[in-house]
Amino acid sequence: MKRRTVLQSIAAFVAVRPFVRLRLFAQQSLSEANVATLKAIAEVTLPASAGAEGRDRAVEHFVGWVRNYKEGADRGHGYGNSQLSPPAGPSPASRYPAQFAALDKAAVDQGAASFAKAPVAARRAIVESALNTPQPVTRLPARPTGANLIADFMGLYFNSADAVDLCYRAAIERDTCRGLENSEQAPRPLGGR
Amino acid sequence: MARYEADVVVIGGGVTGAMMAQKLSELRPTWSIIVVEAGKRLFDFENRFEYRQRNLDYGENQWPGDFVADQSARGVISRAMAVGGSALHWGGVCNRFSEEDTRLKSMYGLAVDWPIEWKELEAFYCEAERRLGVSGEPSPLAEDWRSEPYPMPPMPMTYNMVQLKGWAEKSGITFWTTPQAKNTVDGYGGRGKCRRCNTCEVCPTGARYSPDWTFKQLLDARKIQLHDQTLVRKLTLDAATTKIASAQAAKEDGSDDSVEYRARTFVIASGYCWSSHLLLVSANSRFPAGLANSSDHVGRYLTGHLAYQTQIDLDLKIFPGMNEQHSLISRQFFRCRTDQPYVRHDFRIWESASGRAPQLRDGSGKLLLGDDLLADWRSRTTRGSARVRGYYTVEPDKDSRLTLDASAKNRWGDPMPVLQHKIDAAAAARAGATREHFQNLFAGLAKANDGRMGNLSGLNYQDHPAGGCRMGADPSTSVVDSHGRTHDHDNLFVVGSPTLPTGGCTNGTLTFVAMTLRSAKEIAGN
Repeated sequence: MKRRTVLQSIAAFVAVRPFVRLRLFAQQSLSEANVATLKAIAEVTLPASAGAEGRDRAVEHFVGWVRNYKEGADRGHGYGNSQLSPPAGPSPASRYPAQFAALDKAAVDQGAASFAKAPVAARRAIVESALNTPQPVTRLPARPTGANLIADFMGLYFNSADAVDLCYRAAIERDTCRGLENSEQAPRPLGGR
Repeated sequence: MARYEADVVVIGGGVTGAMMAQKLSELRPTWSIIVVEAGKRLFDFENRFEYRQRNLDYGENQWPGDFVADQSARGVISRAMAVGGSALHWGGVCNRFSEEDTRLKSMYGLAVDWPIEWKELEAFYCEAERRLGVSGEPSPLAEDWRSEPYPMPPMPMTYNMVQLKGWAEKSGITFWTTPQAKNTVDGYGGRGKCRRCNTCEVCPTGARYSPDWTFKQLLDARKIQLHDQTLVRKLTLDAATTKIASAQAAKEDGSDDSVEYRARTFVIASGYCWSSHLLLVSANSRFPAGLANSSDHVGRYLTGHLAYQTQIDLDLKIFPGMNEQHSLISRQFFRCRTDQPYVRHDFRIWESASGRAPQLRDGSGKLLLGDDLLADWRSRTTRGSARVRGYYTVEPDKDSRLTLDASAKNRWGDPMPVLQHKIDAAAAARAGATREHFQNLFAGLAKANDGRMGNLSGLNYQDHPAGGCRMGADPSTSVVDSHGRTHDHDNLFVVGSPTLPTGGCTNGTLTFVAMTLRSAKEIAGN
């Protein structure tokens, strides 16, 4: 390798590395244990008619949302608003480890090995407690905020196009590019859900 | 300092800048045309699906970086500043004004008449519809005559709209679909057909017109030069005449370089805020109140329209989310008999999910989980909901105004604008009657199908703003003539929204474009 090429490579590495480190730092990912806990939350908080597949999809969606969150992202400006929206803040997921730990601790206090392994009734009681104390959570956030892991998970699901379809028992597919054909027809019914 | 010379320099890269550049390049193919835009070019069409998705998932900007950080006004104005301008975010609605909007003084004794005949404007509406690519359903009202059909068939109604139309017409008012700059056929203007993505603010398929398409096409054909990230800070005068000699600009690309443009003709196409602003900050010893401002009318008569709106709960099953931007319209109230109290407005209906969001607690505060939550949610979706709105005319006061704020400056030291809308005395005097009109109108609509009307709420800002450089035949009471030529400088034009004396009662973009195309014809003819 020519000397100049070596120097260019070193320069490129030095220039890129802090950026890579920053991105890795900014990205949050949930552990396998966290995913197991989310699945256990889903069984208690999502409708039975979502089915196992729907619950798994909801957990995947949440995990993906957390993984792909971009701190500092441009959040634009509202219509007719001369102020720019502040850039995206720190990942809400930075507040989740303590909440996952608290769920496990509550389950252990009730004699289970972890929240994920606790019986459904125990999990439901823990979830209700987490949504009622110290202050009752009153609304489902449209997007996760970090304030309450369970409300964040429920909010992301219940505001999704999947959940809307389940509510209306119809394939509205709000967020899908569906084409103009047949738009005068009612959306296809979702069988038996 | 970089220096450029051109036959025409267009200042502003929004929808009117795009239309001006396109038409001039067709009528005068040998002319050199430079478009100067303060913001960036966002031509990465291949990323629009991702931008759309990240907006849905995270609320991120669908048009990342479409602003200049320190170029901001105080008042109601969107921040979009990029190649494409506010029309990047545009919903694509292409309603025409009506003849009454141009003859307020002679018909109703209000405000002023526009210095243009409706028949002539109508021809430019047709041209604007062709250039933007409008799909539409003709109005059934004879007064809304058209000399040409819409370029494309109308956007089909969704199931929801069919239901809502059936309901609304029980009130005796005829509704039809709103015309839109969205492709209902493949390939119009080199763009694809609408795929009903439900996110028209950023159309990932290109079916909804946005000016970046026009600029890309003009650049590919080498018909214009586009200098983006270049902020025009000031216009200068010729030493011996009142002609504009140059536009002085600064690069916004990090280099901070200065740029000078010289041209035979300068066209300000910078929207209702930044057009007046540029004239005011260009004040000099010969025009101490600002260029084109010997009448003291630059920045005055800011206009727009107000609105009343409500939600109506209906005995109808609808499925919110089928195509939320698409709406029904009636133009019945664009007209007002001269022997009746004056109120003129459009009338729009959208599908709505208001009051039908999932809730974590029921009315008593009890926590809802799983099936209980779903059952509660479903119980609130058995009846449908419609969003109903009417934009109504208000005429501007002379002190409805853009001024310069010496305490707020950009990084170049230029004072930033302050926008304060004020309606005139006649519009203020009829405010109560206007509210009562809408209360009765919406209540009557609700009653037609066992509906329940929600609270009547008024818009607290003037939408689709315009004005600031109003056109007129009298140089003492206007800034530009009917072609946008400034009364004070015969080689300086202002086009689009700033030139409107009054703001009509419906979306303004098509009118801004039509007026711009008329100006382009005049400029090319000279």
